[in-house]
Amino acid sequence: MTKVLITGIGIISSIGKNVRENRKNLIEGNTGIKEARLIDSRYVDVFPFGEVSYTTEELMADAGIKGEKGITRTDILATIAFQEAFRDANLTDAQVSGKDTAFLSASTVGGMSMTDQLYRDGNKIGEPSDYLSSYICGAHTLKLIKRYEMQGISTTFNTACSSSANSIMFGSKLIKSGRAKRAIVGGSDGLAKFTINGFNALRILSPKPCTPFDNLRSGLTLGEGAAFLILESEHVVGNKRVYGEVKGYGNTNDAFHPSSISDDAQGILASINKALEVSGIKPEEVDYINAHGTGTENNDYSELYGISKIFDKVPPFQSTKSYTGHTLAAAGAVEAVFSLLAIHYNELYQSLNYSNPIPEFNLSPIPTYENNRCINNVLSNSFGFGGNCSSLIFSKA
Amino acid sequence: MSCISPQETYCEEIFVDGVEVLTEKQYWAKEPKYKGMIPLNLLRRMSKSVRMGVGTGMPLIKKYNDIDGIIIGSANGSIKKSISFLNQIVEYDEGTLTPTDFVQSTSNSIAGTLALLGKIRGYNNTHVNNGIAFESAVLDALLLFEEGEAKRLLLGGVEEISQANYNVDVLRGMFKKEDVDSTNLLFSGTQGTVSGEGASMFIVDSEKSVDSFAKIVDVNQVCFPSKEEVVERAIAFLENNNLSPDDIDGLFLGYNGDNRTDFYYDFLQNQLFQDKALFVFKNLVADFYTVSSFAMWLVASLFNGKNLPKETILRNTNKKINRVLIYNHYEGTQHGFILMERP
Repeated sequence: MTKVLITGIGIISSIGKNVRENRKNLIEGNTGIKEARLIDSRYVDVFPFGEVSYTTEELMADAGIKGEKGITRTDILATIAFQEAFRDANLTDAQVSGKDTAFLSASTVGGMSMTDQLYRDGNKIGEPSDYLSSYICGAHTLKLIKRYEMQGISTTFNTACSSSANSIMFGSKLIKSGRAKRAIVGGSDGLAKFTINGFNALRILSPKPCTPFDNLRSGLTLGEGAAFLILESEHVVGNKRVYGEVKGYGNTNDAFHPSSISDDAQGILASINKALEVSGIKPEEVDYINAHGTGTENNDYSELYGISKIFDKVPPFQSTKSYTGHTLAAAGAVEAVFSLLAIHYNELYQSLNYSNPIPEFNLSPIPTYENNRCINNVLSNSFGFGGNCSSLIFSKA
Repeated sequence: MSCISPQETYCEEIFVDGVEVLTEKQYWAKEPKYKGMIPLNLLRRMSKSVRMGVGTGMPLIKKYNDIDGIIIGSANGSIKKSISFLNQIVEYDEGTLTPTDFVQSTSNSIAGTLALLGKIRGYNNTHVNNGIAFESAVLDALLLFEEGEAKRLLLGGVEEISQANYNVDVLRGMFKKEDVDSTNLLFSGTQGTVSGEGASMFIVDSEKSVDSFAKIVDVNQVCFPSKEEVVERAIAFLENNNLSPDDIDGLFLGYNGDNRTDFYYDFLQNQLFQDKALFVFKNLVADFYTVSSFAMWLVASLFNGKNLPKETILRNTNKKINRVLIYNHYEGTQHGFILMERP
């Protein structure tokens, strides 16, 4: 069965609008979490956010689609990351649009990021907006398919915060099955009143920048972003630069509660174990865990419980959400990009805002940037509402 | 399998009592009394799509053991809960809100609730890819079977109407302006269609058993094709399964009465399937993103020995229907094929 190799990556998050900027800020330990400047919400004074610091119009100009109607925040973030990824992999237009290139994206909020516009259109207030065909979750996928005339298999996932991890898994499976030679996989979510108010209603937004795995953690910080990976079958890669290989994946359900994870981490244990099994890698061979690490009481406890059950000696771990905030459906792909950077450059990034271990585990995330060891295998976790758990394993090719 | 639709499908009365004529522009699902199936306190809080998903899925989960995973296609999920939460945000100016609607709003709440109630901890995924969300879910299931990662799955398509997304789609020109009842819908010759909803759930196994009555052979999809490309795609899809158009006995077509996009169906059947039996289904349940799951339910019912209502038959042949191609598109943008046969 063919190997699935990653030949291109693209990302936009609060720590940069391309891979280079994101990596620079990871190395320097600069967070993107601060007071939001662009989103119109009364909570900007109450909670910090991981907001992308460019307006939708600025990004549209960057993407070469200035003036186009109906482009939502989710759309433009997706477009920016998508363009960087396929250019990074040197895909030709014909390859992007080819029947054997799959396009798999993910979003939770989709065009509902235009909360006020949808309110007016949905309640028939005033003139129809430009966003009538933009609200639905899959709208950003369809727009990119149209713009780039893509003819391959497509889907959009919404499994809440694990969504784009499933895009990566599904793309790998399509390539292994022979249904596709290439897959463009990832996800996008724009910061929105909808999600800000939703997480606020659940009382899990942190009043200070999130502090993953700290005993005094006080919730998550919402972010926004998008990331895409170019997956290619080893048979079509040729002598391209390869960031790594998608080695394993696991998708399970915790079947415990609609919006929290069981303390005994059943879903987490199962998804990590499945990913290890598919990869053929032993726990002791994992060099770094890019944790889901949202900074909520519930997630960080359950995740550490799961990790400490599987790993006799827990490898270096951290949560890059301390840089980007929680980018929801994009998180799996955003963190896949960070995992691949760790593998490609043999480096590990500091987990920010950590000071006190959770007593039950006494495990501390990575304290400083380091680049003095070989990173061969990385585990990346993503867990979501509805009990959805996904784990991915990336390896040096 | 189990189906809630705008017709009486839940207990299969449709095959005895026939099709009900519908006259509104929204074809509302005829839901069963969920009493005894779902605890009342849970039922009250559920969105319609979660309720319909649980109403069709849970009896199957209880009847069939060893379900390895759940795969749902639902483009809009619990859209009504989303809109209700969104309305509260705006109307209460981001005041203090209850999180229930938010938690339920995400599309994966159907698959998540089924996993929770049925304690199914295996594979769990939700496809929301608009008009081919169900086709993508079918592909997901086929892949798991090929990989040997599952032997039995719960597979379904679910969609609900909300007033807000209906309003948005009215503004987009999706629906008929004039009144037309379901008997005249498909031949109305005017713009637009009508809006439907429902849930169809299937237990699918990787291996044939004595209980099997229909086989999903393969699935395919394409976005923004010309009508000629649809024909090419159909030929290639059948060839890929070592078949030619002549091997198809019946074509299930997604005619929805919209004179702007029904030409795709005309063209495909005229080019490749001139002497084949033709079936339709949107005059029963209207159009919605995952309506091909209802078509699959009809085909599986046919293979299971049911006589399909006369309203579904557009052209009859005397030949037994052993192999079927379902072809459906949404707004002419996303096109899906599902190939089915008797096991």
